Amino acid sequence: MPSQPPLPPLLTPYLSTFPQSSLTLVTSILDATGNWLVLRFLHAALSTSASSNTAFGAEGLHNGTKKKVVFVSFVRSWEFWRTEAKRLGLDLARLADKQQFAFIDGLSELFYTPQAAHATPGVSPAGLGSTPRAILPLRSQPGAVPGRLPAPASTTEGGSTATPGQAELGIARKLHLYGRGTAALDALEKDIVSVIDQQRASMAEDEELLLIVDQPDLLLAATGPSMGIGATEMAEWHVHATVLTLAADSPLIHNASTSGGHPAPPIETEHAAFTIGLAHRARSVLQLRNLETGAARDVSGVLRISRGGGWSTGEEDGLEEKDVLYFIQRDGGVRVFGRGES
Amino acid sequence: MSFRKRNIGLSSGADRATVPNASLRPAPESIPGIRPSPDDGRPTTSTGTPSLDNLLAGHAGLPLGKLLLVEENGTTDFAGALLRYYAAEGVVQEQKVHVVGVPEQWGRSLPGLIGSAESLDEKRSDKRKDERMKIAWRYERLGEFGATIAGSRAPTTTGEQDPTAPQTPAFCHAFDLTKRLAHPSITNMSFIPLAPSKESPFHSVLKRLQTAISSSAPNTIHRIVIPSLLNPTMYPPDICQPEHVLQFFHSLKALMSAHATRATAMITFPLSLFPRSSGLVRWVELLSDGVIELCPFPHSADALGTSGAATSQEEPPQGMLKAHRLPVLHERGGGSDQNVGQDWAFILSRRRFEIKPFSLPPAEGDKEAQDAPAPNGMPNKSDLEF
Amino acid sequence: MAPVTLSHRRTHNLLLISKLLSLRDSASPLTLLLDSLEQPATPLIQEYLRRAKLSKAHVTLIAFETLKQPEGVDAFVSARRKSAGDIFKEVGAAYQPAAATNPSRRHLIIIDSINPLLNSKRADPGFHLPSFLSSFLAPTSPSAPKAGASLVVTYHQDVPETPPQNPYSPAPLSVLTYLATSIITLHSFAHILAQKAARDRSLAAPVFGLDEEQDGVLLGRSDKLVGTRTAEGIVLELEHRRKSGRGVLEWYLLPPESRYSPQQVKEVVTLLDDNPLYNPPTEPDRDAGDEEPAIDQGDGPGEGGRILYDMGEEDDFDEEEDEI
Repeated sequence: MPSQPPLPPLLTPYLSTFPQSSLTLVTSILDATGNWLVLRFLHAALSTSASSNTAFGAEGLHNGTKKKVVFVSFVRSWEFWRTEAKRLGLDLARLADKQQFAFIDGLSELFYTPQAAHATPGVSPAGLGSTPRAILPLRSQPGAVPGRLPAPASTTEGGSTATPGQAELGIARKLHLYGRGTAALDALEKDIVSVIDQQRASMAEDEELLLIVDQPDLLLAATGPSMGIGATEMAEWHVHATVLTLAADSPLIHNASTSGGHPAPPIETEHAAFTIGLAHRARSVLQLRNLETGAARDVSGVLRISRGGGWSTGEEDGLEEKDVLYFIQRDGGVRVFGRGES
Repeated sequence: MSFRKRNIGLSSGADRATVPNASLRPAPESIPGIRPSPDDGRPTTSTGTPSLDNLLAGHAGLPLGKLLLVEENGTTDFAGALLRYYAAEGVVQEQKVHVVGVPEQWGRSLPGLIGSAESLDEKRSDKRKDERMKIAWRYERLGEFGATIAGSRAPTTTGEQDPTAPQTPAFCHAFDLTKRLAHPSITNMSFIPLAPSKESPFHSVLKRLQTAISSSAPNTIHRIVIPSLLNPTMYPPDICQPEHVLQFFHSLKALMSAHATRATAMITFPLSLFPRSSGLVRWVELLSDGVIELCPFPHSADALGTSGAATSQEEPPQGMLKAHRLPVLHERGGGSDQNVGQDWAFILSRRRFEIKPFSLPPAEGDKEAQDAPAPNGMPNKSDLEF
Repeated sequence: MAPVTLSHRRTHNLLLISKLLSLRDSASPLTLLLDSLEQPATPLIQEYLRRAKLSKAHVTLIAFETLKQPEGVDAFVSARRKSAGDIFKEVGAAYQPAAATNPSRRHLIIIDSINPLLNSKRADPGFHLPSFLSSFLAPTSPSAPKAGASLVVTYHQDVPETPPQNPYSPAPLSVLTYLATSIITLHSFAHILAQKAARDRSLAAPVFGLDEEQDGVLLGRSDKLVGTRTAEGIVLELEHRRKSGRGVLEWYLLPPESRYSPQQVKEVVTLLDDNPLYNPPTEPDRDAGDEEPAIDQGDGPGEGGRILYDMGEEDDFDEEEDEI
């Protein structure tokens, strides 16, 4: 079997068409993760090399509309995304340079800000490109106090700020959660929106902006009702998002109903409400899972593409629903095929 | 189907070279106990248990920057043994070992060093030769399983570097649980207590780890050891709040990503207190790079031994092991490794923690089944290919 | 006898659904749409909008989920991060000009999903669901327009509710179903057919999507149903409380939008029992009105096992036997 192009033909229609203010949901589970799919979304949006598209007959889908991407990741590092994207031939650092792409780091300092982070120059962060790249010109935010101490104790209200000095190569902003409740959430959102605005400022008329948020459900799980953050408040974020990834593991989805009179713990109720609620708003839901028959050596998992509750019946292009198998090759390539094909 | 063979052949050298591993730095060869992964060249370190190293999705070790969660059901402490091997390996490799939440006595219970893992294997296979005729042929191949991989992998990738060559320092050592580790660098271990705090009790732990890693020399490798996380005898009661546990895991992940070539972590976790069916545990798993579950058999190992099913020469398995998630592999999408979904059994003996394919012993008196090879769980040659 | 009964039922119940969907005679001030991921309420909302357009009603959408103002909506009120009181004020303000020009114009208020309002952590302590809903129906201020509004509220059944603050107060869904004058539970026609087929063969009814309880599955598999393209459309399970207090239960089929013109005035909804896929025409007369009574398998809360029973041939036969 020949290996497939970076964007497997079976998937291209789902990766590159986003009607205005539509939401695409990617759900994954413990052992069928969705990073490869996120990378394909990035590739579909950012890869401008005509060859990679025309060669595989997908040029019509790009339709000349250029896309900008703002990418927020809550559980994986910039280094990871940069490396994996490179395997697909996508240079995220260069794209960040050209302001085609902005990475918002929701991992490094979200809950805990390392105090001595820059004490060891040249060592940390390990492995970032050796050639110093121009950092995105960070306009100081009106609300942000430059050079503010990163100590969370010093803040009373919810609030967050990007310390320009900490902006690492290619990282547009690092998110910090200070305080509690919706105020803390709003501050995070403000940070993300400021990066979006920054991107929009340099946007041409025909350009589209894509916001991809990787696992915002982590934020919900790690804060929860006791910190005044619930599914409803989190779900309001989808206003900006185009693609969202979430966990859909059984323990997080199916434990929510009160079984046997025991109310489910908040983490499960909130997660289920968040995920299912978003599926009701999504135009399409891409669900990753394991093969029912157990592990197979040439199949990594099953991808089910469904219309979400937000799919409108009046849509011209069909959004065909389907179940396909996929296989992640060791070189990072992905093959997507129907059942019975190989 | 031909694509698979071409891509996942054991002849790793050639095709891997074409993989654009732009950012994967060659492992710092000078640092003992670190070697490049046969899969993609990223630096790995040993868990102190050779068969666990071999389970880790073709990397033949725990890749640096990764966190391995070892869960255990029931009241046994097999996970503790794995964790002690891991800590002892760190001490012997002169890595900086940080132990969280337990008193210093824990460090005195590390197993004694008896040589390199290869030396133990050699000894064992010598013994094997004598017993050869007595062992049913199918068990013989099973027994060699770990050795086959370790032996075939490391040399193919490192080329000229043969781990068994006298000059090369050993990657993995053998330890004896009945002995106590006496090594000059054992005093170098650091024990991080849980300090009561206004915020999360984990806050001080993170601070200590962060300071230790960022203030150490760039070639110091750190090992973070967390025994029996959330065990109520060691941890305060409100620690199992998601905002404490999950924020800790998230921050730990952040810390290790920031120092991706300088630290590994192993955490053991009691499932009998926090079952896998709960959302909290699922998030702990989702935030871990590798998740391994130990399911000890409820009955004593002796009982199984006398059943006659397992031959008297082979030690009977003490439990099942499930690999739910493996470092790197699953981050990339997962599933294609033959180790995933396979049923594994483990045997803890004085000198080793062995993980091997599980096969159900034939029912007692089932002559036919005893003679016939087990239908599944038997690794044939192709199974052992990676 | 039976055909007469069925046609009687058909006439009455089709008239009823027609009145309900077209908001005639204030037949149902508060309609609750119970939907799920397997059958979202979107197509039914579309149908409401289509009919509102035909009858030139004023439509207000209180949007907790929708981001873009859909076609056919006159006033779009984003409810994001707003308190119940603010929402109410905004709806009133948006309707004011329309009401001023034509006070007799019908007013349809759609809440795209009430779940966020019920589960919000931000909810002000004074929030009271019944008064919130009734405030739209019976405006208290004298300046408010007199014409009664119809409220159509969507509730996602599969989104779990957060545990109530007060363990003794009824669950929000119970309150909603108690208040509603009509409850429409939505089902996918294909699923109804699959479940009926299983039942006819005494097999366990298949489950779809979240009910499969499979790791990683949120939505039901659809390609299985590709062969049943004709089974498009949605099934409406209606429970209506008449003004007299009597209840009506009926199952309907709403065909897909593509099957009829947006201007079609003639009723498009049919009885489920009249559908040849659901009720294949067998030997004439023999089983006509007597096919399996529509049994609710307990999908909707508080409706488990309720049987919609109508007089059939069997009943008549027995009567005659007794007489002899």
